[in-house]
Amino acid sequence: MRKILAITWKDLYTTFTDRNLILIMIVTPLALSTIVGSAFSGFIGGGGNDVPIRDIPLAVVNLDQPVEVNGQSFNYGQTFVDLLIPSNPDDSTSLLQLTDASLFSKADAAQSSVNSGEKSVAIVIPADFTRSLTYSQDNPDIHVSPIEVYSNPSAPVSAGIVRSIVENITNIFLTGNATVEATIEALIARAQADPAFGVQFGLASASGSFQPDFALAFQPDSAPITIEQQTVRGTAQTFNPLVFFGSSQALFFMTFTAIQGANSMLEERRDWTLQRLIASPTPRITILLGKLFGTWVTCIFQVVLLFIFLTLIGSLIAGEPQLIWGSNLLAVLAVIVATSLAMCGIGAVVAALARTPEQVNVVGGIVAIALGLFGGAFFYVQAIPQIAPLSRLTPNYWGTEAFATLAAGQTDIGLNLIVLAGIGAVLFLVGLAIFNRRLSV
Amino acid sequence: MQSQVMVEVRDLAKTFKGKNGDDIQAVKGVQLDIRRGEIYSLLGPNGAGKTTTISMISGLLAPTRGDARIGGHSITREPLQAKQLLGVVPQEIALYPTLSARQNLDFFGKMYGLTGTELSRRVDEIVDFIDLRERQNDRIETFSGGMKRRVNIGVGLLHKPQLIYMDEPTVGIDPQNRRRVLDTVQRLQQEMGMTVLYTSHLMEEVQEISDRIAIIDHGEIIAEGTLGELIQQIGEEDRLTFKVGTQSVPDALLAQFKQEVEGVTSAVYERHDVTNGESETLAQVDGIVTIMAKRGRKALPDLLRIADDAELDVLSVEVREPDLEGVFLHLTGRALRD
Repeated sequence: MRKILAITWKDLYTTFTDRNLILIMIVTPLALSTIVGSAFSGFIGGGGNDVPIRDIPLAVVNLDQPVEVNGQSFNYGQTFVDLLIPSNPDDSTSLLQLTDASLFSKADAAQSSVNSGEKSVAIVIPADFTRSLTYSQDNPDIHVSPIEVYSNPSAPVSAGIVRSIVENITNIFLTGNATVEATIEALIARAQADPAFGVQFGLASASGSFQPDFALAFQPDSAPITIEQQTVRGTAQTFNPLVFFGSSQALFFMTFTAIQGANSMLEERRDWTLQRLIASPTPRITILLGKLFGTWVTCIFQVVLLFIFLTLIGSLIAGEPQLIWGSNLLAVLAVIVATSLAMCGIGAVVAALARTPEQVNVVGGIVAIALGLFGGAFFYVQAIPQIAPLSRLTPNYWGTEAFATLAAGQTDIGLNLIVLAGIGAVLFLVGLAIFNRRLSV
Repeated sequence: MQSQVMVEVRDLAKTFKGKNGDDIQAVKGVQLDIRRGEIYSLLGPNGAGKTTTISMISGLLAPTRGDARIGGHSITREPLQAKQLLGVVPQEIALYPTLSARQNLDFFGKMYGLTGTELSRRVDEIVDFIDLRERQNDRIETFSGGMKRRVNIGVGLLHKPQLIYMDEPTVGIDPQNRRRVLDTVQRLQQEMGMTVLYTSHLMEEVQEISDRIAIIDHGEIIAEGTLGELIQQIGEEDRLTFKVGTQSVPDALLAQFKQEVEGVTSAVYERHDVTNGESETLAQVDGIVTIMAKRGRKALPDLLRIADDAELDVLSVEVREPDLEGVFLHLTGRALRD
């Protein structure tokens, strides 16, 4: 074990004291993530990397029940639906351009459509939505019954936009009704204090000549309200584009580190340091494990450092300290460890099958780019249905998705960890076996 | 009681698969004994099986057949014990260039099981032994070729091995550093009692430092012994070298030298083409006739007369007393650098 750690430490030291490697491993992905992530942060104020901001596939479920007050029927849920799915497609006040909304009768069906990728986001208007907003003797304290926004973590921009729409519309309803409530309460209070005014107000109300115009009250207002945004798994989500760009770039560059780490085995053989190690009283398997373990630890350090720097950058952008990867740091570390293992496995197999370091550079570059391409390092793969299923074959996808899930405050990353650890363990052992056989000739 | 034999090699053989699937026998049942405390040199032209043999002894290659024992430990059955007694100084600078000399020594020391204060003490001793105390914390990549060679040797000595294998340790260094390395090798034997297994392309080096020499060719040891014993094996022949420039020498004339001049045992013609570096055009042709003869000075007039009769213009003549190069040439028919 001591020798394994000595080899690991030597590899870590030589890697992290090499300025060129630091530039490639840390500075480049950090710069790319920061530039792109910051650009998207400013662009949509909390959006993400699923850029389509037209025709967002949206599922709408309206469970709202109308409410009758003084002979007038109110149904804000229906108003909501009419804004998103107008009967007249030319209606300029509609959000037709922005969303491609469909009405669903059940929340389960809407969630399934998001799960399957048919829709990016689903909103569920609760049954007491109108009741909660409407001022009446039965409901003197108006409030907002939360509208649930379901989204896939991989469609953060769409979720952000829909969340904004929901916020704005609900804001209008709430502000308007709050104004009505305040006005009526003020009139009643004055009528109670001034009997003459009370009589006059009563007569006007009874004759129907009291027709207050509350339309202005229903103009958009900035009054903040809280709407719980949820993913399909049902937990609150706060999206930060740095998480998506940062994790996808970190994993993309980690692939190179993993492949180069394994390639160092061939480089050491070329430079004769490997033979020197083999000629020492050190079992071959110890040397191999030390080398591969060193690569694994290097990858972990690389991503941990990147994540720390990205957290600092995210905090600087936000103007306050932020745990952009979520509060479950142990789970984040577990994903880093599992993803690094998977990448090291890939690196080990590539290097074990190659004959020369130069071959590894060429083949490894192709493998890393292919994994990055299908894993979402360059564009939003889920937006292209033809290749979206392929992304599930890459550790990049499982890693990025797990980081997004944790950043969203969820913990449901068991499948991701199993897949990543499985890929890593199998390929790691295959690489180890091939290397061991090659060194035993 | 400790055996006087440090290395016993018995029927050691290695067969590789060729590109077309054929078996290539690189080493064909080598047998040799290296005594404790001696400097033993292994000579052989390229492709003779020298590297393969030593790779098997060092545990880098698994033998197809046979075995070697280092200090009584079999390299196939007790490889770790055998390797613990062996220090390796490869021809290549097998060091990590971005680590300092001390960090390299420290790392390889750990690979030989040294730890803590013992490791630190040994590294200090080695740094002094290779005379690099001032530069011990500098990166290897900043060192001159000679300094790198010294660290390369130092790594092999860290764990005080009983046997040290040095593969052409003087390649690519200036005469001053070469002298230093050769002195070091002799100090290892004389002051530390180490057994040295040495290979070199430079006959003078081998001749100077070796107690015994083995010559390997075509995967077999074809001669072994002290320099004197080897010279005796070839009958203490002198080596006569005729430079003939661009002239070609027919086989018939070479045969005539052997048949008509008393004491001549072999005559070989070699043509060395010298080309311009950039254009690769032929700049010069150096033809050399090498003749092995007992009492060469006596044979010289007859040889020159036959050459003159054959209208061969001999441009220069050199007569050398029996030496290792002559032995090697005689036994292998090739110069060591061929």
